[in-house]
Amino acid sequence: MAVPRTIEEYLGQLRAALRGADPALIQDALYDAEEHLRAELAEQPGRSEADMLQQVVGSYGAPDEVAEIYRDQEIKIQRALRPPPPPKRRSLAGRFFGVAVDPRTYGALFYLLLSLASGIFYFTWVTVGLSLSAGLSVLIVGLLVVVLFFTTVRVLSLMEGRIVEAMLGVRMPRRPVYPRPGRSLLQRIGAMFTDVHTWTTLCYMWLMLPLGVIYFSVMVTLLGLTVGFLGMPLAMLVHPDWLQGLYVHHMFNVDWGSGPHVPGWGDAVAMSVVGLLLLFGTLHLARALGRLHGAIAKHMLVPRQSDPEA
Amino acid sequence: MDDSASQLKKFQKELSAGTVSLVLLAVLGGSRQPLYGYQIAKRLEELGEGALAGKQSALYPVLRNLEAAGLLDSEVQPSVSGPPRRYYRITKPGREALRAWTDAWNATRDSVDKVLQGEL
Repeated sequence: MAVPRTIEEYLGQLRAALRGADPALIQDALYDAEEHLRAELAEQPGRSEADMLQQVVGSYGAPDEVAEIYRDQEIKIQRALRPPPPPKRRSLAGRFFGVAVDPRTYGALFYLLLSLASGIFYFTWVTVGLSLSAGLSVLIVGLLVVVLFFTTVRVLSLMEGRIVEAMLGVRMPRRPVYPRPGRSLLQRIGAMFTDVHTWTTLCYMWLMLPLGVIYFSVMVTLLGLTVGFLGMPLAMLVHPDWLQGLYVHHMFNVDWGSGPHVPGWGDAVAMSVVGLLLLFGTLHLARALGRLHGAIAKHMLVPRQSDPEA
Repeated sequence: MDDSASQLKKFQKELSAGTVSLVLLAVLGGSRQPLYGYQIAKRLEELGEGALAGKQSALYPVLRNLEAAGLLDSEVQPSVSGPPRRYYRITKPGREALRAWTDAWNATRDSVDKVLQGEL
């Protein structure tokens, strides 16, 4: 590889060397490199960019060396910081019940319940921000609102990425995309509008409302049903006369399909078994939905770095 | 010759894997004001040879991960001349970790020295 002569070239080579790696990792690596190179350049203003880069290849590392270091670090850190993956279970029962000891399950469950609140917030923010920007853009002041709004969207996107990584275990960027220096305000605004990533981020935030409603309703319904079924034996302990008004008409009926009858202990135990299966089924669903949502977030919130303009 | 050079390189890499985190914590723990990545790299450059003289690009992921673990705190500040910088400072858990890690390092260094000097 030829020695890069400009920072752009260096970053281009680094991007090429990292091809195929996690897009979130690429974004972080490019941010670090750009920060370092620009600091190095600012240190000795008289020196040309090419001279500086010649030296940096020795101290910071050539693009392919840097790529190697980042790939390496990433593997090591994944191993060190992540909770160890639960042991692979072979048996069908082991796989079915093993979901309860997978920490990711509970992260996903919590995320799904939270998604209603965050979905409402994102949706409101984007809708208000977009309409305010559109309405005010006829005024000069409006440009400021537009820029502010798009900046907040970037910050929110990074924040949502952190939440997704913490709860769903999907690697997301930890650093924003480095702002291109030496551009006028109008050029920056133009770049924001032509960047596909801006629009996919907006779509994601808008999409979070319907998704959040679905996730939340499904999870609350299933969890409520589960608790109800599991609690049947407990309800049997409560004599209908003890707590007046606990049951409608002081009694309740069960219908397994062969006509309603007052449940006995057999029914209660059968229902709690159903509840137990439902509980594990819900956990499986939560983990699967979490995985699905992680993929959605990664696709829409992380810019494709193979695109040189991103 | 080439073989032993690559073995030395591998050994240095493994040696630096753990010590870099300790050194970064110690540099930030001993500094009165927050430092940015480039500044830390330049300070370490003056130290010279050894496992820490590796490529400076290796420092940034470690800084980021120390931050993710809550041992460091960071914020971006604009600079008068040049690009905005991300400044790091040590946190309270960071100081506790630094104390514990320093003890671990001292114990390791002492026992390694003993073995190398043939006291075993």
